[in-house]
Amino acid sequence: MTTLTPVETSGAPHARIPRRGRRAVVGAIVLLAALAAAVVLSLAIGANPLSPEAVWTTLRGAGTTEMDYIVLELRIPRTVTGIVAGAALGVAGALIQAFTRNPLADPGILGVNAGAALAVALGVSLLGLRDVSQFVWFAFFGALIVTVAVYLIGSAGRGSADPLRLTLAGVALGAVLSGITTGISLSDPEAFDSMRSWNAGTLLGRGFDIIIPVLPFVAVGVALAVLLGPGLNAIGLGEDVARAQGANVAGIRVGVIIAVTLLAGAATALAGPISFIGLMVPHVIRWTFGVDQRVILPLSAVLAPVILLLADVLGRVIIAPAEVPVGIVAAFVGAPVLIALARRRQVSAL
Amino acid sequence: MPSSLRLRAVTALAASGCALLLLAGCAAEPTAVTDAAGESAGTHDVEHARGTTAVPDEPQRVVTLEPLELDTAVAVGIEPVGAAVASNVAGAPAYLGADDVEPVGTVPEPDLEAIAALEPDLILGTEARHSELYEQLSAIAPTVFIETQADPWRDNAMLIGEALGREAEVADLLSAVDDRCESLAGEYAIDGESVQLIRPRDETTLSLYGPVSFSGSLLECAGFTIPAQEWADGLQADISPENIVSAAADHVFVTVTDVDEASEIPTAITQNAADFPSVTPVDTSYWVSGVGPKGAQAVLDDIEAYLEESR
Repeated sequence: MTTLTPVETSGAPHARIPRRGRRAVVGAIVLLAALAAAVVLSLAIGANPLSPEAVWTTLRGAGTTEMDYIVLELRIPRTVTGIVAGAALGVAGALIQAFTRNPLADPGILGVNAGAALAVALGVSLLGLRDVSQFVWFAFFGALIVTVAVYLIGSAGRGSADPLRLTLAGVALGAVLSGITTGISLSDPEAFDSMRSWNAGTLLGRGFDIIIPVLPFVAVGVALAVLLGPGLNAIGLGEDVARAQGANVAGIRVGVIIAVTLLAGAATALAGPISFIGLMVPHVIRWTFGVDQRVILPLSAVLAPVILLLADVLGRVIIAPAEVPVGIVAAFVGAPVLIALARRRQVSAL
Repeated sequence: MPSSLRLRAVTALAASGCALLLLAGCAAEPTAVTDAAGESAGTHDVEHARGTTAVPDEPQRVVTLEPLELDTAVAVGIEPVGAAVASNVAGAPAYLGADDVEPVGTVPEPDLEAIAALEPDLILGTEARHSELYEQLSAIAPTVFIETQADPWRDNAMLIGEALGREAEVADLLSAVDDRCESLAGEYAIDGESVQLIRPRDETTLSLYGPVSFSGSLLECAGFTIPAQEWADGLQADISPENIVSAAADHVFVTVTDVDEASEIPTAITQNAADFPSVTPVDTSYWVSGVGPKGAQAVLDDIEAYLEESR
């Protein structure tokens, strides 16, 4: 980030923005169409090979009890969970990558997943929780408390919390908390059977009674992210440049941490710790549409649910009549993308 | 993981070494006492998964690492001093009524230090689970391993009986289970009525138990029929809640941790009530984990109570 950079970028975008803008609009339309297709697939395909006609009949309200249960009680809620959790993960991933200027940052880097998992483990072992609907608020508050702790540790001492110190604090605290969680679960493996698929990450079993209360947190997180877009663009040029341009760097940092906590906390509370989606999606968007957070953030919110739903659909059919939790499929799909990423000569710039 | 395993193995080795020293130190004085008690008690050779081992004819301080071994030992009246359990929190399963058994780690991860501290004279374990611990366990006390917990439990129980010097008692207990099964089948004559034993795993998976499984075999010998599924070795089949109706049967038993907690019945079953005319919650701690003669009797108690009630 030399002093020349602002001159370049403040000159160049004027010429590029119209074309970039058109490209982003076309991209948004394509991605929304892909999302619609993913939703259709998620409703039509499952471990039970119902015919598309049967699904359609059921959606119109003329299904048998069994079909009603499969489509209305299982597939619709899990599809909505996939959209909400996916959007949250996509935006959280884009935010954390822009914020830390680390292309391999993942929403879990601030300790969100470790905090959520520890809170759920404590709930299971101390309070005897067994039902996933009881996990939600434990996971959420665990994520919240740990991110605040990471922020306090990362900002202790001189100066404000810079991304590097926050990352170190998040990774360190996350490792400690994961160790405690493993210790708790090893001492009572039977009880933790019920935590198994939560731990892997799954969209099943979340009714609207769980989804709707989590929705406002995601909405606030996404709105905050959209507001932060221009500021993050400025920070991307280097903090000194951003300050010189009049950006409130400290304010943007706090805003990002709040948004990431809300989004990643909500996604983890809903679906368990799903990795790779938040890491992979912002990259794909950056490759395709270039580095403008005002484009990356909203498009990540659309692409991430597409990938998450497709991974879930895949997990339903590969070992039918049983299912593979979506978190495991996401890792299988995500790993090759990560390898491709590492093999590219130039990791997409931030 | 490998490095932590190695580390654990090293600490365990060190711990058992220390315990050995302690044992040797203590052994000097009370020799006279144990000799008096153990005069009639010689040893006998047992052939098992790890070769042939000389074990005491009258073991006094037994440690078990497998639920079947705990159940069988308690059933023949030898309450182990320590046992690896399913849960450190809950300890030995309540159905055994063996409250003095000290938990020594979990079944997949026994605690060698705690085992050594109990100064056992016989240790029972499972090759398929505890293979790499055998040398260390043998350094603590004579150790007998069954091959795998997936083998027919009756055969395993016989080997355990041999190791405990109670072969005849175990044989009697096993035939008592068979006799009771037969008399239930004769008395209630439910031939051909279908049954399904369902274990809810988590939101994505329900396990159905097959005719070869522990409780599945007891249900079948009491006269029920388990409908065909795509069993893995006849033991169990996993299904998604989307396929719950394929588990429909005249009589359905669902394993739960607390039989009085109605919410433990999965919504997949309650939402499809028409396909599940009769749903009975049963205790996981013996229907699934209570493999052994005592667990079998407890399962048959439940089956008999159910048959009596629905007659």
